[in-house]
Amino acid sequence: MNSASLHQFSTLTVILLMLAFYGGTYLLTLGIRKKKEDADAFMVSNHRIGFGIGAASMTATWIWAASFYAAATSGYTYGVSGPIHYGLWGALMILFIYPFGRRFRKLAPNAHTLGELIHARHGSSSQLILALSNVLGSVISLMVNFTAAGALVSVLSPLSFQAGVIIAGVGVLLYTLWSGFRASVMTDFAQLVALMAIAVVIIPAVFFAMGGPSELVAGLDNLTVEQADFFSMDAILHQGAPFFVAVLAYAIGNQTISQRLFAVNEEHIKPTFLTATVGYGAIVIGLGMIGLMALTLGIEPLNGDMNNLIPQMVSGYLPPVFIALFFILVIGSLSSTADSDLSALSAIMMADVYGKNLARGKANPQRMLLVGRLTMIVATAVGIVFASFSLDILVMLVFVGALWGAIVFPVIASCFWDRITNAAFTTSVLVAMVMFCLARFEWLPLDGATGLLFELLASIGGGVIIGLMAFGFLGRAMGFLAGGLALLAMLVFATGFLREYTVLLASLTAYGTSTLVCVVMSLASRQERFDFATIGERVGDYDQAHAEPAAAPGQAAAPTSATLAGQR
Amino acid sequence: MTLLYGFYVLVWPALTLGVLVLICRAVLRDRRAAKREHRELV
Repeated sequence: MNSASLHQFSTLTVILLMLAFYGGTYLLTLGIRKKKEDADAFMVSNHRIGFGIGAASMTATWIWAASFYAAATSGYTYGVSGPIHYGLWGALMILFIYPFGRRFRKLAPNAHTLGELIHARHGSSSQLILALSNVLGSVISLMVNFTAAGALVSVLSPLSFQAGVIIAGVGVLLYTLWSGFRASVMTDFAQLVALMAIAVVIIPAVFFAMGGPSELVAGLDNLTVEQADFFSMDAILHQGAPFFVAVLAYAIGNQTISQRLFAVNEEHIKPTFLTATVGYGAIVIGLGMIGLMALTLGIEPLNGDMNNLIPQMVSGYLPPVFIALFFILVIGSLSSTADSDLSALSAIMMADVYGKNLARGKANPQRMLLVGRLTMIVATAVGIVFASFSLDILVMLVFVGALWGAIVFPVIASCFWDRITNAAFTTSVLVAMVMFCLARFEWLPLDGATGLLFELLASIGGGVIIGLMAFGFLGRAMGFLAGGLALLAMLVFATGFLREYTVLLASLTAYGTSTLVCVVMSLASRQERFDFATIGERVGDYDQAHAEPAAAPGQAAAPTSATLAGQR
Repeated sequence: MTLLYGFYVLVWPALTLGVLVLICRAVLRDRRAAKREHRELV
């Protein structure tokens, strides 16, 4: 098994598999296609997507190809608890955003992006910071997904890496281009059903083919003490903690999530996000178990590449039909995320850039659609080029992660506290980014008083994360209490210690600095307190034909003139 | 230990199956409701 190569499909088989997948998906979108799409539906459907489609779309979007590979790698590296430390925190990213999501939706029921809400609250500079972070995140995601397609095609067939990248890019663009978000959510459902059905079959199939529970238990002897420990500190500090820190940042910084928040029927936000949390966790942790199985069997990843672990196990223990199923599983997961990224990018360019900043109250819905479709074409081309040349995006990834961490507090606080100002939002994010870079790239020596200063800021960051999480579910008093206790615990345990973990220190510093600057500047400001009721008046639908029927049952529809006048 | 580890591995595909059934049933309900109200599913 260790020296075995992966099963190889012929070029024709892989082309037929991809044709069947993308052809079938394209045919599915024909059923919902309208000759004349409207701009609002292109971005968020009708704001009334049901629980089933909403939960399916949320789950499918959050699962990308890297989820399987990374979960299996975590299982292989950290042992028994490894898959949990990848999948659980990823799942909680969906769960922890929904209390805030309900607030976003209440403030701006007809919004298309979170940026529109921030624009109505603060103005262009804060909105564009958020939009920029969303754009960078989605472009990176597109590139990673196309790269996964290229890698999969090249390891399982004679086709080249670039051929896989191009087929996936063009395939996703074709079925998303005309109907945008509507096509994305519709196909997400079909892709998720395929993905889940395959996962349900593949995980037990590999497990029993390798010998079942008894073989797994026998193989535990191959594990180190840390790997065999379910409460391994190694796994917590290296895998769990950095992911935990990112829980809120990923959710706030990702337009694919906000888009679904604004698209799902308001009454169904809670069950939708709860179901997606369980669905994501179950699939990803389950596939991560294949990494644990490989570890117990003493299998070495082919060519030292951890991404080969799952294909290797499937190839080694199951007949070729399962490898074809695995192929569809990965193509389905990466396509569902890539189409959501295209929809997210188009919505940002349509609403945040064109609608709010270029058209300034005179947005033409047909021109918006053109902007959205052109964005999809350009984004696909950029994703394909970046993926084909295997560009090193590590620095970009680091910056996006920091930016997402820095905006968490200003975005959430802006929706609850009427004293946050635009200057406080913008300045706090910029200062946090500078402080992040100083710590992350060690531009300042992290020892003595400097190290202590950063640990203090990071401790505030830790308190903010825990405080916000508690606040979301349990209210303000519990939020302050939990945040205060977390801050105290961090001050006691992290000072003199956290400077050794620069990645974690820098991330927490971004949270802490932005919170500190934002709060101090807002308290010092003499600006009039903000009236949250004005947000709903300022954010509305763009398309006249869509504006009135979109109102929720029981609510009076806003006059079209009012919703259009609100585009300022 | 054998039972425990068997459960630990197999509980995830079982949960996945549960969520799959839940989502499929919900989509069928959504579809029926959309038809009844003469509107589109998405």
